[in-house]
Amino acid sequence: MRHPHPREYFVSIFHFSFFIFYSVTTSPILHRAQAKKHRKVQPGTVLSWTTMAHPLAGFGTHPRTVGLIALDDGSRALGQLVGKPMIGQRVRPRMVLSSVNAEGLRNYDVAYEAMAHVPAKAKQKRFPGYILALTGPSGVGKTTVSRMLISMFSANAETVPILTTRERKSGDDGEYTYVSKEKFTEFVRNGDMVAFVHLPSSTEERWYGYKRSDIENIWKKGRLPLVITEMHLLRGLVDHYGRRSLLSFGLLPPGKSKRAMLSALLHRLRIRGRDAEEHLKDRLKNATEDLAFFRERADLFDKILVNEDLDAVIETVRQSVPGLQN
Amino acid sequence: MPCPSPRDMQSDIHLIGSGQTRFGELWDKGIRDLMEEATDAAINSSPCTALDIDMVIVSNMLAEVTNGQAHLAAIASSLLPHHPPAIRVESACGSGAFALHTACAMLESGRARNVLVIGVEKMTDVSVDTVASALMGAADSEQERPAGLTFPGIFGLITQRYMHEYGLTRDELSLVSAVHHRNACENPFAQFRLPVTPDAVTKSAMVSNPLRLLDCSPISDGAAACILSTEHAGAARLVASQIASDSLSIVDRPTITSFSATKDAAERALAEAEITLKDVRILETHDCFSTAALINLEDLGFCDPGEAIGIYHNLWRGGSPLDGARGRLPALGVNLSGGLKGCGHPVAATGIKQLIDVSKQLQKTGDRYGLAHNFGGAAATCGIHILESIS
Repeated sequence: MRHPHPREYFVSIFHFSFFIFYSVTTSPILHRAQAKKHRKVQPGTVLSWTTMAHPLAGFGTHPRTVGLIALDDGSRALGQLVGKPMIGQRVRPRMVLSSVNAEGLRNYDVAYEAMAHVPAKAKQKRFPGYILALTGPSGVGKTTVSRMLISMFSANAETVPILTTRERKSGDDGEYTYVSKEKFTEFVRNGDMVAFVHLPSSTEERWYGYKRSDIENIWKKGRLPLVITEMHLLRGLVDHYGRRSLLSFGLLPPGKSKRAMLSALLHRLRIRGRDAEEHLKDRLKNATEDLAFFRERADLFDKILVNEDLDAVIETVRQSVPGLQN
Repeated sequence: MPCPSPRDMQSDIHLIGSGQTRFGELWDKGIRDLMEEATDAAINSSPCTALDIDMVIVSNMLAEVTNGQAHLAAIASSLLPHHPPAIRVESACGSGAFALHTACAMLESGRARNVLVIGVEKMTDVSVDTVASALMGAADSEQERPAGLTFPGIFGLITQRYMHEYGLTRDELSLVSAVHHRNACENPFAQFRLPVTPDAVTKSAMVSNPLRLLDCSPISDGAAACILSTEHAGAARLVASQIASDSLSIVDRPTITSFSATKDAAERALAEAEITLKDVRILETHDCFSTAALINLEDLGFCDPGEAIGIYHNLWRGGSPLDGARGRLPALGVNLSGGLKGCGHPVAATGIKQLIDVSKQLQKTGDRYGLAHNFGGAAATCGIHILESIS
């Protein structure tokens, strides 16, 4: 019986270092993960972590630190950890390029960044008198982008709720404040609404708008109001506060042609599953108008972003807002 | 959550023959060669002939990926001249125990009287990256895999948390592999018959912080086979065969420093055998990573949570394993074969090899009861078998 030399143990380690492009994480798996990604976009606490010298093939050749995170909603998630890890540490989500699969699809996933790296008592920034606006057709990903922004800059930014008369739907996620038609009309009559719109729908009366006090209260807190909006409301805000009060971003779906963009939108709306098929037609019709609006009213936007790579979109917004860079 | 207790063993099932290949990097042997070698050894050691085998259960996890070979039941059947019916069973690294459990069901139902159970894995035909990815099939492909985790990564998370909760140190953890390696020196079938010091474990290459290379069971080729019978009597009798399951992903579990599948299977197995833990003197437990051995001893009930390292302190010093530790047993042989760390871990062969080792050790020591504990993945499935020595 030959006794193995201790060096033989290390043979397997050397095998690891040859990066072989092999991954079972296929595009459909990534796609399903994408649909559930928003669940992971929330702060949490590190339950455990490890740094693998050789992560799974497709995840690069550098050591990779992965954490098991107890998210604030009580669920758990696995994700890459950025920064020096520690059990019990508070972390916040951040999008990073996670892997490249065998078909070359670049997968961005939620990673977690230690909050300790941000000075605990960061100087309170002031955002007097201007509004950050995200405009785009339904399904382009405005809510996802805004949720990411808010979770990353919760100390400095706050979403302005949208007042609506439409019915509450199961997929709604806290972005709306629901009021009756009567109440809405009363607000409008009293001049409490800074912008409002009636959006055509084949099935119900739908009014949407922003309340003056909601925006001004955020300013009073020294924070930056973030509005997730569409063309009519954007025009309303510009009319009310003036163009220079808005830092305005247009968000377009990926696609080289209008047809490709609409098809991308329809696909996202269907996946979101919030609207019945007949509402989708309305939304698509609105989206067609929205796309034309981006071209015709380019003056209303400081930047037009294509929501193909979420991380890049977030980074551009962050870089463009004075005071959010750090 | 404990499920209603499955019915107890319906007939006397004897272990009448067993055999295995050496575990290791066996470049010159294919998957069929391995199965054949173990099968020949099992039949030769039994009172029956090849023609007495009326069913074959083969356990294997990875052959499609590592060998381009599915349909192992057909190969297993063709090893015998009369081509008896054969079934393949898969439950990741716990496949061996699940194959044994399936064999028991066949014997208890009366469909078969002599069942050959073969566990086989041939892992060294492909690159380490391919094996690492294939093994991740034992975890959740839509939770653990997208995070880039490997199995050392998953157990790295478990170990980090265990150290945090119980204050286990890196140097203490190194005792586990050192004990297993020392035991493996005595085992002619083991992949690593060389002693390693705890210091060498602590200084080995980092694989997945805090786990180091010598904390991890290796990639191995090998096969193990045994014959279970209701017709012939052997040196040992199976008095319990229990399986249990848990959430597949560690994300869905309330704790990662204890495995509920082990607890469930152990509780039911002891009840089925009508013995207490005190009666178990020989233990082969699933130490795929050194931390797993500690968690297993706690989940099986040999000590309280966080205290299993005390057992390894005693084993390393050569004392009775439960001296000093708040243990519940006077004497216990733990992984005397060398465990998965010392013997190697051809994943689906391990569960069967454990049963063979328990029977060998019972014969050697004259003890009455021995327990084989085998799990799949991060203990999402677990199978426990208790053998009673008849001699």
